Amino acid sequence: MSSAEADQSRPPRRFSIGGALLTLLTILAALIWFIPIYWAVVTSLRADQATVTEFGFWPSEPTLSGYIFGITNSKLPIWYLNSTITSVSVTIIAVFTAAATGYAISQLRFPGRNLLWWIILASFMIPVPALIVNHFVIMANVDLLNSYPGIILPMLLTPVTVIVYKGFFDGLPKEFREAAVMDGASEYQLFYRVFLPMNWGVTTAMAIITFIGAWNAFLWPFLVVQSEEMMTVTVGITAVQDAFGVAYGRVLSGAVMASLPVALAYLLFQKRVTQAIALSAGIKG
Amino acid sequence: MASVELQGISKSFGAVKVIKGLNLTVEDGSFTALLGPSGCGKSTLLRMIAGLEDISEGRAIIGDRDVTHEVPAKRRVAMVFQSYALYPHLTVAQNICFSLSLAGASKAVQADKGGKVARLLQLEDLMGRRPAQLSGGQRQRVAIGRALVRDPEVFLFDEPLSNLDALLRVQMRLELAKLHAELKTTMVYVTHDQVEAMTLADKIVVLDKGIISQMGTPLDLYNKPANRFVAGFIGSPAMNFVPAEAANVAGGLQLTFAGGAVSLSSRAVSGRVEMGLRPEHVGLTGPGQGLFDGRVSVVEQLGNISYVYLDSANGPLIAEADQSVRLSVGEQVGVTFDLAHAHVFDASGGAVPAR
Repeated sequence: MSSAEADQSRPPRRFSIGGALLTLLTILAALIWFIPIYWAVVTSLRADQATVTEFGFWPSEPTLSGYIFGITNSKLPIWYLNSTITSVSVTIIAVFTAAATGYAISQLRFPGRNLLWWIILASFMIPVPALIVNHFVIMANVDLLNSYPGIILPMLLTPVTVIVYKGFFDGLPKEFREAAVMDGASEYQLFYRVFLPMNWGVTTAMAIITFIGAWNAFLWPFLVVQSEEMMTVTVGITAVQDAFGVAYGRVLSGAVMASLPVALAYLLFQKRVTQAIALSAGIKG
Repeated sequence: MASVELQGISKSFGAVKVIKGLNLTVEDGSFTALLGPSGCGKSTLLRMIAGLEDISEGRAIIGDRDVTHEVPAKRRVAMVFQSYALYPHLTVAQNICFSLSLAGASKAVQADKGGKVARLLQLEDLMGRRPAQLSGGQRQRVAIGRALVRDPEVFLFDEPLSNLDALLRVQMRLELAKLHAELKTTMVYVTHDQVEAMTLADKIVVLDKGIISQMGTPLDLYNKPANRFVAGFIGSPAMNFVPAEAANVAGGLQLTFAGGAVSLSSRAVSGRVEMGLRPEHVGLTGPGQGLFDGRVSVVEQLGNISYVYLDSANGPLIAEADQSVRLSVGEQVGVTFDLAHAHVFDASGGAVPAR
């Protein structure tokens, strides 16, 4: 097909004021989100004095001193390690248990199934900060404050993930289960070899948003961690601020480093993150 | 290979009884079709044989083993589902060998058994593909392959051809018939399509509202239906029913209907009845020359034969006519019956045989 023909087959594009306005609004909204992030990155590249004297969109003398200071004079590498251990653990355990719970409620028939389902539905209506004192007392009673299990355990409560999985398992035709049962699959094999692999997309999506949530968590790790050695990145960078006063360059370079894995995860799995948000959007309301 | 015997089998869902004390023997090596309209309980019955539904009452015996309370995997039966139920995340080879893999068979055993099945079903070139990359007929063959690899004593088919287009259905029907001839394994086949049942099965069990209405060979059911339900269900186009008044007179049974009367051989019935005649036993002649007249409403020309749909004082009728017969819609014709093939059904719907 020649280009002239192609042009003819294309419907004529009409200029619409509504469409243009919408585009403009979207660009504005994107800028409102983007400018603080850009500002944080730029400020992190300025020397300490320059952070309060310079206001340009690019530092006159870019420097990595804030980053170097953060890495050499704080426990940032340890905080990174702590964040990685806790976030990865939370992701693996929370997604696996949520998938197993969703499977059980969707596919198994046992006494108390409906009650369990209602408890899970009700539990996601309670905001986490409302439970945080209870969590703290429980962790203190079992002597888990200032430890990895202490950080991880309360973060494993992810009713939304259970709800998403149950919805997916409910939606699968019952013939898949029956065919596997006839083939001699045990309940464990059904879950692990049929239901879970058929939903790898959901699992990946859930794992990514769980990881992002766990990495970004602040309130709970801030409460449960008492020593600098156990801090996660999000908690640790506030320590930089406390120790050195308001040193914007250092604080923001810490913030950039803290958000780097999340940003990277988002960039790499953008499609999956969007999918995960779409999956849980109807539930979160 | 094994026979299947169901003894006094019942199934209830809450207060609703869908299978009502049914006795059935499926002979070893036979191809038995469970035929009936939607909701007659045929799929439930198949699922009870498979073990996917509990048996509320009665016993199920496969071969010489009582499997009433046995789990599906241990019944040595394999099932092909209407929706195929192929696992989308597995390749054709993995789908076929899924049961072997679950049982912990080695890769070599899987490749050997899977390869044999693939050769039998001509799936060798598709082994690396996923179900989404297959056509309907190929998926169907993979589903059969998955059942075949288990080397079962009984195959159960739950409307396996319903999702295929007309042409493919005829082709797969032929392949299934060949497969049965080759394997000689007992097959139980659920369908609502009487053509499928007639062409494939050597025994048809017609179910109606959870009970067996009649069972027998396809021709038995066609020529000697036990009741009005079977008579109307078997055969396409369906049998014609003419309401009549029966009276036993000297030398036979007099049937009087709108515009005419006929005499049949003596039968033990009187009062309101229905006379049943298949389309090939209804003849057409000039107006006023038959038993009564009818008006042509539709003519279906199939090439070798034509079906003529008539409106008459005795209700709508279908006649099978020679392809040379030229009729136009609205034309008046006379109707004749080949009384040697007439069936009589009493008020309760039971067939009344000649004495």
